[in-house]
Amino acid sequence: MKLPRILAISKKQFQTLRHDKRTLALMLIAPILAMVVFGYAFGTGNKHAKVMVINQDCGATAQKIIDHFDTDTLSITYNNDTAAAKQSVRNGNAVAAIIFPPSFTADSHPVGPRPPQGAHLELYLDSTEAQQAPLVSSQIATALQDYAKDQEAVSAFAVDTGYAFPAAKNATFIDSFLPGIMAFAVTLFTILLTLLAFVGERTSGTMDRLRITPVTETEIVLGYELAFGIIAAIQASLMLLVATLAYHVLVVGSIWLAALIVILVAVDAQSLGILLSAAAQREGQAVQFLPIIIFPVFLLSGIFVPLQSLPDWLRPLAYILPPTWGIQGLRDVMLRGWEISQIWPILLVLLSFAIVFSYLSIVGLKRARN
Amino acid sequence: MTDRVVTFHSVRKLYGSFQALSGLSFSINKGELYGLIGPNGAGKTTAIRVLTGLNRHSSGDVTVLGHQPQDPKLRPLLGYMPQETALYQDLSVEENLRFFGKLYDIPAVELNRRVNDLLAFVDLEKWRSHVITELSGGMRHRASLAAALIPKPRLLVLDEPTVGVDPELRANFWQRFSEMQRDGTTILITTHYMDEAMRCDRVGLINHGQLVIEGAPAQLIHDANVSNLEEVFLKLAKREAPQ
Ligand SMILES: Nc1ncnc2c1ncn2[C@@H]1O[C@H](COP(=O)(O)OP(=O)(O)OP(=O)(O)O)[C@@H](O)[C@H]1O
Ligand SMILES: [Mg+2]
Repeated sequence: MKLPRILAISKKQFQTLRHDKRTLALMLIAPILAMVVFGYAFGTGNKHAKVMVINQDCGATAQKIIDHFDTDTLSITYNNDTAAAKQSVRNGNAVAAIIFPPSFTADSHPVGPRPPQGAHLELYLDSTEAQQAPLVSSQIATALQDYAKDQEAVSAFAVDTGYAFPAAKNATFIDSFLPGIMAFAVTLFTILLTLLAFVGERTSGTMDRLRITPVTETEIVLGYELAFGIIAAIQASLMLLVATLAYHVLVVGSIWLAALIVILVAVDAQSLGILLSAAAQREGQAVQFLPIIIFPVFLLSGIFVPLQSLPDWLRPLAYILPPTWGIQGLRDVMLRGWEISQIWPILLVLLSFAIVFSYLSIVGLKRARN
Repeated sequence: MTDRVVTFHSVRKLYGSFQALSGLSFSINKGELYGLIGPNGAGKTTAIRVLTGLNRHSSGDVTVLGHQPQDPKLRPLLGYMPQETALYQDLSVEENLRFFGKLYDIPAVELNRRVNDLLAFVDLEKWRSHVITELSGGMRHRASLAAALIPKPRLLVLDEPTVGVDPELRANFWQRFSEMQRDGTTILITTHYMDEAMRCDRVGLINHGQLVIEGAPAQLIHDANVSNLEEVFLKLAKREAPQ
């Protein structure tokens, strides 16, 4: 394996773009366009937000309120340990922890004079789950109201909200959406361009010409991956730039770590594209593969629909899509400010996908020499 | 044995159930300019693809410069001009040449020299920074030949290199081939032009994936008792399948 040959392959990709201005424009503008369009078009209608309920109430009021929660909207797990519950919110295992203190019934049905603050319950919220966090707040408000309607002498309730990720306390839909659309756009365009490039190499006969030279399949694949990794990083930076300037999108964590994830997502998409290109005879056929890739990624990878909302039988499918991991990783980094020590499992998964797919595409290219 | 650059021995190549090569045997000696002729679909391109390692033969033996066709050691020694242009359409002529040159690990200074020399040879100096799509058909062919010559190969394989090239340049091409031959390069060329076949040291006529006849052009004409190579071709390469 020789570096200059790998670099030659990468450089060729950029030279092609220099002469092919239309593709260049598509690559730079389309992801931003996608972000703008989808950013406004989606954003509601989620279910099954995971919440931990810690009911320490000595009376029965808390349970009555809990019974008012819509179990379709919230999927409730009971717990006795407040600290552990908050930890699982911070780990991303639940969107919120709702804590009813021991005095809840007593405070809400005062025998003597009302306590001035009313009855308090504590809400510990992961606001970076920008689609589900508001569900939890509104569910609590509704349940409290419903309960109050049924009862006569009830004191005011108060909700003390705490945030799992204080820096992201005002996260909105676009904040959690940006990582999704970044991973999605990079996946889409990388697969598209890879498919076209490789089918083009084959139909134009340049692949034959490459095979006659000393360049190896490994060098070809690595050269392409280098080029598309760089292109993906440029795309992601542009999207980040527009998102922060135009939408004031929140980026809490390290940009570099986010860039690394985007590059890994691109390499995954790229090697998948090479694999797919083997099945297409012409460019037109290659394009037909796109829907097969796009729809599952669009619907299953967590861009719009949280993974918890997926039916159980579909969820495993989500986990074999590299963008699912990429999106989770990007959200963890950009919104929650997680560091490498926390997201290394995601990096490892993305890297494994890259290694396995690259290996398979190298084997595929070698087998085409028959 | 050592002066044999290419040997084909009873080579068969099947595409599915179709036999594109049906027991092809021929050999090319070192420093020879060998012409492969035959009707459309005779198997010339298939033979070349087997020789260059692009397609694996189904049975028989092939040796090229002492290696199996698929042996990586063969690659730096081989130059190949495919029948189609086979260049990157969105790269300029010069970028194409440099790209392939780098894959042969040619040092930068030497690569510069070769690129300039070859651009002059194929008369595309003025077009060096134009992308391939802006060239005429004949110009693309010339660019493709230049790309095949970049590695200074020991064995040069040219599949119909002069199709669509004007007479003046065609004469230049053949002059270059002769020069390269003098410098020790072995050349395998396919052509449908009999005047070109006449300039080869030896010619192999193939039909239906088999060698029909082989020898020096003058010898073939003499043996067939006709007046030119075209008549040899017409006499021996019948279209209908052999019995
Ligand atoms: N990939 C392929 N799949 C199936 N059949 C093929 C394939 N390539 C070539 N053939 C068949 O093999 C036969 C030989 O083709 P080949 O291209 O070697 O002919 P040729 O002598 O180069 O012809 P021409 O003078 O037209 O270039 C033809 O009948 C052709 O249809
Ligand atoms: Mg041919």
